[in-house]
Amino acid sequence: MSSTDSIATRWRRALSFRNISAIYIFIVIFATFSIVTPETFLQEGVWRTLLDAQAITVIAAIGVMIPLTTGSFNLAIGAEIGFAGILVAVLQVKQDMPFIVAISLTLLAGAFIGLVSGLIITKGRIDSFVATLGLSSILLAGLAWMSSSKQVIGLQDGFREIATSTYFGITVPTYLMVVLALVVWYVLERTPVGRRMYAAGYNPAGARLAGVNVVVLRISALVAGGIIAAMAGVLLTSRLNTGEPTVGPGLLLPALTAVFLGSTQLAGGRFNVWGTVLAVYVLATGIKGLQLVGAQPWISDLFNGVALLSAVGLSQWEKTAARTAAVRRALPFTRQGDDTEPPAEPGDRSPSVVAHR
Amino acid sequence: MTTASPESPAGGGPHAVRLLRVTDLVRDFPGLRALDGVSVEIASGEIVAIVGHNGSGKSTLVKILAGVDAADGGRVELAEHEGTRTELHVIHQDLGLVSELTAVENLRLAPDPSRSRLAPHHRSRERDHAQTLISRFGTPFEVDVPIARLAPAQRSVVAIARALDGWKHDRNVLILDEPTEALHANEVDVLFGAVRRAAATGAGVLFISHRLDEVLELADRVIVLRNGRKVADLPTRDLDHETLVTHVTGSDLHQRPESGPKRVLGKIALDIVGLTGPHVHGFDLALREGEVVGVAGVLGSGRDTLPSLVFGAVPASAESFRVAGRDYLRRSPRESVRRGVAFVAGDRVTLGAVATMNARENMTLPDLRPFTGRFGALRRRAERATAGDLARRYDVRPPAPEQRFAQFSGGNQQKIVFAKWLRNEPRVLLLEEPTQGVDIGAKQFIYSEIDAAASRGMAVLVCSSDAKELVRLCDRVAVMRNGEVVNELSGEGLTESALVAEGYGLTTTITP
Repeated sequence: MSSTDSIATRWRRALSFRNISAIYIFIVIFATFSIVTPETFLQEGVWRTLLDAQAITVIAAIGVMIPLTTGSFNLAIGAEIGFAGILVAVLQVKQDMPFIVAISLTLLAGAFIGLVSGLIITKGRIDSFVATLGLSSILLAGLAWMSSSKQVIGLQDGFREIATSTYFGITVPTYLMVVLALVVWYVLERTPVGRRMYAAGYNPAGARLAGVNVVVLRISALVAGGIIAAMAGVLLTSRLNTGEPTVGPGLLLPALTAVFLGSTQLAGGRFNVWGTVLAVYVLATGIKGLQLVGAQPWISDLFNGVALLSAVGLSQWEKTAARTAAVRRALPFTRQGDDTEPPAEPGDRSPSVVAHR
Repeated sequence: MTTASPESPAGGGPHAVRLLRVTDLVRDFPGLRALDGVSVEIASGEIVAIVGHNGSGKSTLVKILAGVDAADGGRVELAEHEGTRTELHVIHQDLGLVSELTAVENLRLAPDPSRSRLAPHHRSRERDHAQTLISRFGTPFEVDVPIARLAPAQRSVVAIARALDGWKHDRNVLILDEPTEALHANEVDVLFGAVRRAAATGAGVLFISHRLDEVLELADRVIVLRNGRKVADLPTRDLDHETLVTHVTGSDLHQRPESGPKRVLGKIALDIVGLTGPHVHGFDLALREGEVVGVAGVLGSGRDTLPSLVFGAVPASAESFRVAGRDYLRRSPRESVRRGVAFVAGDRVTLGAVATMNARENMTLPDLRPFTGRFGALRRRAERATAGDLARRYDVRPPAPEQRFAQFSGGNQQKIVFAKWLRNEPRVLLLEEPTQGVDIGAKQFIYSEIDAAASRGMAVLVCSSDAKELVRLCDRVAVMRNGEVVNELSGEGLTESALVAEGYGLTTTITP
C-alpha cells in the first residue's frame, strides 16, 4: 500500500490468492488434466490451437474492456464482430473489392458504429446498457440482411492468409493480440489519458469537475472498442475462410466473462488488460481440458457462466464499497463527512483486502 | 445525575431512570486503540451529546452500540423496565430511508410483529398512524409524496418517527449519528424540536455531532472524546463554545479571526456581470487578487448553485465574464481548470473527488502535465514524490498517498481536495461549503490555508451556509435571497447575526 511496506509484504500481497486467483486456478486445472488425460492434454498441437483460437476472444475482450474503463457497457460487441465479419466478406465477394480496401472500410465501419453508440450514450443520455443492447439488435438485423443469413464464401486467397499464416510457429492473430494488449496496457496504465479514463469510469461527475473531458473520453473509448471489434470480425472471417453470420455474436459472453473475471485479477477490481488476457486463457484451458475428457460442446457455456458468477463473487469486496457510494449518491442532501473510519483503517485487519486498494 | 435544561421539559430530573450504561469500552484496531476505556451513561429524558474530532472514536462507539462492530472489552448494559428491556434505536447519518417511497411507506418498512407479513396494507389506517406519529414531532406535512420531495429536515422527522414507532414503552434510547450534517440552520430547529419531544416522552437521546453550537443548544450533557478517550463529561450549563473547543482539540485554538496583516488587493481576477442560471439571476462580482469574498444565503437562495455556475459545471449565461481580464463566456470545468479557476465542491465524496481512486491519483488529476514524459508516459516517480510532498504539506493523516480517498476521514479528504486544487496555484479559488463535515482541527488548518492562499494573491470566493465561517474568512460577504444579491456586508457590519438576519430577510431596512 505505501512505500514503507517491506518487500516481503508486497510480494505476499502480489502473490496472494485474491490477487492472482486465476493463476492458481490455472495451475490446478493444468495439473488435473495433465494427470487425467496426459496423452491429449499435454500435446503441443493442442496448446498451439488454443493460443491461436483464443487470440480473437482476447481481442474481443479488450474491445469490451476499453469502454468499460470509462463506464460504458458495450453489449453490442458480439453483433459488431459479426457485422464486421460479414461486411468484410460481402465487400470482397459481392462488391469485388480488393481485400485491403474491404478491411479498411470494415475498420472504418467499426469506428463509425462506436461513434454512433458513443453519441447515443453521451449526447442522447441513454444508459450504455440499453443503448448498446438496442444497437446490437439493429446490427444483427443488418448482418442478416447483408448475408441473407447464409455463409458468405469465395473469399480472396490473400485474405485467408492473414489469420492463418504463421511466423515462428505462431499465427498472425496471436501477434496482433499481443501488440494490441501492449498498446492498450500502455495507454491505460502508463499515460494521463488512461488515468483520466479510469477516473471518468469511477466517478463521471467528480472527474468532470476535475477538468476531465468525460464525454470525449467515453466516445473515444467506444470508437476504439468499435475498431477493435471490427478487427476481431475480420480475423474471425479470415480464420474461418467464410463470412459466418453466427459466430461473431457468440463472442459477447466469453469476452464479457473474461473482462469481469480479469478485473478481479492483478489490479484489485480495476478492469485491466493482463487480467483479461489471463482470464481468457484460464477459461479456455479449463474448457479444453473438459472437452478432451469427453464433455459435450455445451460445457463451454456452462463453464463460462459459472466462472463469471464466481468472478463477480470474488470482486464483491470492491463492489460493496461502490454500492454504498451509489446509495449515498441516490440520497439527496447527504453531504457528510465520512468519518466512519478511524485514521488507521479498520480494514487493516484483513491485509489481503487492503492490498488491492 | 444531571440536570435538565429548560429545553427538555420532561428532562432528567431527580427521578430519572438510567437506561443505558456503557462501561470501559475498548476497541482495538491494528496500531490504533479506537476506544480506550470509554464509559457513558444515559438516563430517561436526557439528551447527551458526544463530540470529538474525526477519528476520536465516536463513530466506533456508535457502531458498537448499533451492533455493527464488536468491542474488545467493556460492558454495555441496558435497563429493564417492567419486564421489557430498553431498546437502542440508531438513526444513521443517511437516515436509512428509501427516497422513492412516501413517508407512510417508509414508516411501514419497520416490521409490525402483530400482523402477518403477508397481510394486506390498511391504507387509511396507516396514513392516519403516520400523520399522528409525525405530528408528535412538529408541524405535520404531506405524508403521501415520495420523501425525496420533502425537505431534509422533514425526512429526518420521518426517520425519528420510524425509530420511535412501535415502542412498547418510552424508556428507550435513540442514537442520532450526525443528524444535522445535511440540514440547513432553520431545518435543524425542526429536527431539534423532534428530538426534544422524544426526550420529553422519556427516551434517552445520544446525539453525535461535529457542530459545537448545536450541541450546546440541544444537549443536557456533553461528552468529549479525544483519541479514543473520554476527556470531558460535563453538564452543558458549565460549558461555552471556547471551553468546548479546548476540550475537543486539547489545545487552546482560537476560532475568532485574529487581526493579521492586512492583505493587499491586486487586479480584478474574476469579473462577472449579470450571471444568470438555475436559482441565480443577474449576479455581479468583481473579485480582486488577494480578496476573500463570501456568499451567504439560505438553501435555494442561489448561494448553493453559484459556484457551479461560475465554474461552468452548470450552464449559465452572463453579460460579461472575465478571468484575469480575458473574456470567458463559453465555460466548462475543463476550460476553467486551464484558466486557473479551481472549485472545491461541497459534496467532496461524489463531486470533489473520485473516491475509489487513491489520494495521489486524486491530487494529480486536474493537471497531469508536470508528470508527463516521453511518449506521453506518466513519470510515476515524480508523481509519487509530488503526492508525498502534498500529503505532508497539507497535513493529510495518515500521510499515505496510496490509500484510497474514501478511506480517509472527512477532514483529511477535504485536505486532499485542497491539496489537489492549490497544487497549481490557481488564480481564482471557488469554495462551496469548504468545511462541511470536517472536524475542528482540519477546519482550522483549512482556514489558515485559505488565508495563506489569499495572502499569496489568490482570489477566493466562499459560498457557505456557516455564517461564523464567512465572518472568520471573508473581507466582504454578499447575501443572496431568491437568486439575487440583496446586501453586501463588510468591515464592522460583517457579523454572524447580521448575516443570518439578512439571509432570512429579517431586517426591515434593506440597504441595496
